[in-house]
Amino acid sequence: MDADRPPFEDLYRDYMGRIYAFVRAQVGSSSDAEDITAQVFMNAYQAYARFEARNATPSAWLFRIARNATLDHFRAQGRRDRLRRTIEHQPVAEDDPAGQAEERIQYRALLARVAQLPERQREAISLRHSGLSFDEVGKLIGCSEDAAKMLYHRALKALKEAVQKEAL
Amino acid sequence: MNVNGEEDLELQALQRQLDDAFETTRPRPGFDDELWLRMQGSRPAPRRLRDAWAGLVQGIRAVPVVPASAVAAVLVVALLLVMVGRTLHLNTGGSGAGTALNPAQAPADRSLYAGSFGRVPTPAFAAPGLPSGSLPSSNQGSAAAAAPRYTWTGTFTLNIATAPVFRYHEPSTNAADQFATALGAVLQERPSGFLGSYTAADYSLKVRGTVQSPPSSPAYFIFSSTAMPAVDAAGAGPIDQANVFLAQHSLTPQWSYTVEADTSSDPVQVHYDRQFDVPGYGPAYLVRSDGARDGLQVSLSANRPVLASGLLPMGLDVADYRLVSAEEAIRAALAASGPAAGGPSPTPINLSQAEVVYVLVPAGDHSFYEPAILFTGTITQNGQTQMRRVLVPAVDPSQRTP
Repeated sequence: MDADRPPFEDLYRDYMGRIYAFVRAQVGSSSDAEDITAQVFMNAYQAYARFEARNATPSAWLFRIARNATLDHFRAQGRRDRLRRTIEHQPVAEDDPAGQAEERIQYRALLARVAQLPERQREAISLRHSGLSFDEVGKLIGCSEDAAKMLYHRALKALKEAVQKEAL
Repeated sequence: MNVNGEEDLELQALQRQLDDAFETTRPRPGFDDELWLRMQGSRPAPRRLRDAWAGLVQGIRAVPVVPASAVAAVLVVALLLVMVGRTLHLNTGGSGAGTALNPAQAPADRSLYAGSFGRVPTPAFAAPGLPSGSLPSSNQGSAAAAAPRYTWTGTFTLNIATAPVFRYHEPSTNAADQFATALGAVLQERPSGFLGSYTAADYSLKVRGTVQSPPSSPAYFIFSSTAMPAVDAAGAGPIDQANVFLAQHSLTPQWSYTVEADTSSDPVQVHYDRQFDVPGYGPAYLVRSDGARDGLQVSLSANRPVLASGLLPMGLDVADYRLVSAEEAIRAALAASGPAAGGPSPTPINLSQAEVVYVLVPAGDHSFYEPAILFTGTITQNGQTQMRRVLVPAVDPSQRTP
């Protein structure tokens, strides 16, 4: 085992939830997010022997696999189908008395809005809020760190406008 | 405030919401274990055999060569300690004996008092103020922007000076096998990260030991096969169905609990939240490091149990430990606030309720369930009120390792 490479179990424990949240923000459906997350970790598990820590952080490596798996998912399903399912999975105003449940619904709604952003904006927001640096975000989506920052801020403003529009 | 300043604040608020959304969005309970099982199952058989062999060889190599003189020295020290312990009438908390000190016997001088387990480890909690089950974000920039500022407006009195601390031995593969055998399940393999994987007529079972981070108790996971029948009980609600399933499979919890059902989604979740009895206080819930209650969960879909996951039954030793006062606990919770100066304005969070709870503190061969104080409060952002939790250790700092 590479001395710089943590046990895969640690990676799984530390990143499974974050990868799921990242994927969930892309596809807007929890069942699709589970399928893709499973695919990500199955692929990563098989490929971990070839992972070299000096070339990328485990985080960047895993999110690259997650991004590719998500893109494959979209390619397979087609954009129209994805939009249809995103709309179907729009959160509904559930009558749940617990404050926590309200919170979950609110966050679900926010992630659903993220899922409706244009692809690169969606990725910039999701990767950044999954804990990646702008440098890592830029490398993953193929642009400079500065360009990733600009893209992120444009995405944030677009999201804010979408949220405000829906509130009206 | 000018337009740009106002927009900046709105964007900061949105960033905080996104942080929370990404930190708290997690798959359904049990998904991580199901996936881990699938991953283990996906390995080709020769590789599994090779890993098992490598693990065995590594285990043998890990046993150190101990000189006989060192063994003799350890035995002499152990004997002396036992004799001193008996002389001082200390409770030694025998393995699985469930012995307890009477709180009235606790010495008045708190600096000298220590429970019979010696100093216990200090629990590590998730970042304070997180809404629910998540590890602290590694996104430091955003975390700083979300630094909360706590205020206390509730009433909290703690009329007890001590509370029990529970300790258990890390379960072995033998213990896992015994548990599985009692249920009628047969050992299949020992996948990495688990004590054993077993099968029965209508389900598969996995047993896992303590997880260090995030702290998680030894647990079992039952995954129904397609042969698992629906619970046949006319007019029974989800809780009744879960009760029937647990009774049929000899899994009814032997500890105190409260039970509730979450029917907001499919599968329906029935939660059995474990409680510890604290003399002079009452029942105290076992919670995870993010403050969410822990115990046993049964997932039901179309009246059919699909997944059950719960705490592995274990023998607990017990010893009383001195607690902090209510005032000290409140100060500790408020001290979790973000920096007072510099950076963006801290988010005000109003803590208004507090209760004694228990948290798992993993510590190698022996782990502990220690009392803690769970503060809950609310935060209002963009006109929406949300719940926040802060956990602080309840065992007096002089009784804990730093």
